[in-house]
Amino acid sequence: MLSVVRSSATYGLKAVEIDVEVNVADKGFPGFSVVGMPSKAVDEARERVKTALTNSDIEFPMAKITVNLAPADIPKEGSFYDLPIAVGIMSVCRDIKIPASAYFYGELSLDGSLRHTRGVFLLALLAKENNVADIYVPRMSANEAATITGVNIFPVDNLKNLVLHLRGKKLIEPLKNIIQDGADDLITPEFDLSEIIGQEFAKRALEIAAAGGHNLLMMGPPGAGKTMLSRAVPGILPPLTAEESLEVTKIFSITGNIPPGGCLIRQRPFMWPHHTTSIVGLVGGGPIPRPGQISMAHRGVLFLDEFPEFSRKALESMRQPLEDGIVSISRASGSVSFPAKFMLIAAANPCPCGFLGDPKHECKCGLAQIDRYQKKLSGPIMDRIDLHLTVPAVEVEKLMKDNNTSITEKSEAVRLRVKLARNMQLKRFKDEPGIVCNADMKNKQIKKYIKLDNPSSLLLKMAVNKYGLSARTYFRMIKVARTIADLDKSQEIYEKHVAEALQYRVKINVD
Amino acid sequence: MAKKFNFIKGRDGENEAKIFLEKLGFKFVEANYKNKIGEIDLIMTDGDTLVFVEVKLKTGVNSGNPEDMIDTRKLYQIKRTAESWAVENGLNIYKQKLRIDAVCIVKKTDNTIERINHYKNLY
Repeated sequence: MLSVVRSSATYGLKAVEIDVEVNVADKGFPGFSVVGMPSKAVDEARERVKTALTNSDIEFPMAKITVNLAPADIPKEGSFYDLPIAVGIMSVCRDIKIPASAYFYGELSLDGSLRHTRGVFLLALLAKENNVADIYVPRMSANEAATITGVNIFPVDNLKNLVLHLRGKKLIEPLKNIIQDGADDLITPEFDLSEIIGQEFAKRALEIAAAGGHNLLMMGPPGAGKTMLSRAVPGILPPLTAEESLEVTKIFSITGNIPPGGCLIRQRPFMWPHHTTSIVGLVGGGPIPRPGQISMAHRGVLFLDEFPEFSRKALESMRQPLEDGIVSISRASGSVSFPAKFMLIAAANPCPCGFLGDPKHECKCGLAQIDRYQKKLSGPIMDRIDLHLTVPAVEVEKLMKDNNTSITEKSEAVRLRVKLARNMQLKRFKDEPGIVCNADMKNKQIKKYIKLDNPSSLLLKMAVNKYGLSARTYFRMIKVARTIADLDKSQEIYEKHVAEALQYRVKINVD
Repeated sequence: MAKKFNFIKGRDGENEAKIFLEKLGFKFVEANYKNKIGEIDLIMTDGDTLVFVEVKLKTGVNSGNPEDMIDTRKLYQIKRTAESWAVENGLNIYKQKLRIDAVCIVKKTDNTIERINHYKNLY
């Protein structure tokens, strides 16, 4: 006896419909096998399904059970085939009708309840695309799908309830749609900018970076506050737009980073990988391609502390995504691309001991050592970073001063300015799909939207000639100038905006 | 000497198991089928299902439970042996209900039965 249950598999950022065919034959040796390129986790579904059914007072049939996951040429991984397999078996040996237009999805616990399962958001999108009426998902993950209209979402607690529902005895209430209103403004960052003493120059640079989505590199001796400054960034980032929120939620859903009960991701992600992270961990990959940290930081911030300590290969692998905002991963089984439009914040010491150029400490590094250290920051990578700044050690007098007397702004005030600047940009790029901030602009858009007046272009030309800046830097600097003008609420870019942009780019003097 | 004792003891256990299963309504088909793949202690029928039975006997509890002696490797061996038995007897294993059972017997040192358990459908 054969029954077919519809479910989905995820490959890259796409969900594909999967037919879970369950055949129960009472002839031959009783057994339970899964075919159709299952991974270990899928294969182990057998034990989970068997035990979950038994513990839900449903007798597991003594028969030869064959499960086929079709199409058989897509590798299947993950634990979400538990529910479709269980439903398939129940429909054959118990009197249960499977609704024709429904997807089943979820991981079973041994006691028959359903566990939080990743990828529900993508399942709901697929259901909408394929005009599937119902989806049955674990209750804890159901909220992920709740913003998608046109699909009935049935949150399932356990197999017993599902059986009662499918027999029409006790119906499960479908989830109500959550209407996505304006992004959540309530965030409490780890650090507030006002907690950081001094470093006004760096704070201004962070504000510009946050307003335009520009990349930023901070260099300075240990203890200057680089890490603290970077970790205050989530507090000044503008909220995600509705469109961005969908993109981020997709990635978070695939990687299982949406907490149980969580809905859309409203806050910009802030990823902070350790410097031992591998290339695959950073840019994504693996036998079945998975997004890496740079994709997890999509529309948010990727903070690389101790930048030169990262492996050179890992850093260089970010070149292409830094430019294109996308990572393409090709494997024997196919090629996948993940979005990776992130804002890079890098922090580094100027040399291995950290005190090169510090007025109070003597640098103990040999010249060759310094050379080797700084070589890690290769030209192509540095070229892609818009704002370079030196963060000097804070003077003791400033630290000792009473907090009340110092004029430090709260993150909230900075965030307000950043939001206004972003809104200007959103208005500017309303006809350009996929572009939300100045850093997203390609040369084409720069030509279209940015006009420099004479003194500004003259200044820029002089700087390019004098400091030997590359063509890429030239365009990147225009983008930064645009952001500074946006922060100034100015529609035009004036000389002073370009001049400020320049000071973040002119090569750092380390001697 | 010890091996001979085990052999006699084993036969003993198979007889106990046979009597036990016949009481449950099983019909005897064959005992101690053996080929180069392995051995099946008892072959019986339970209604329309052909049952291959592995019998395990332990005397005393010092040497562990008889259940511990049956693992997936052993079951696989029984399955292979059973398949070859079916071929020899002209049965199509895809058109016949089949099953592998186990009977585990624990005897006290005075040769009285402490417990006898029947496990259905192990494979």
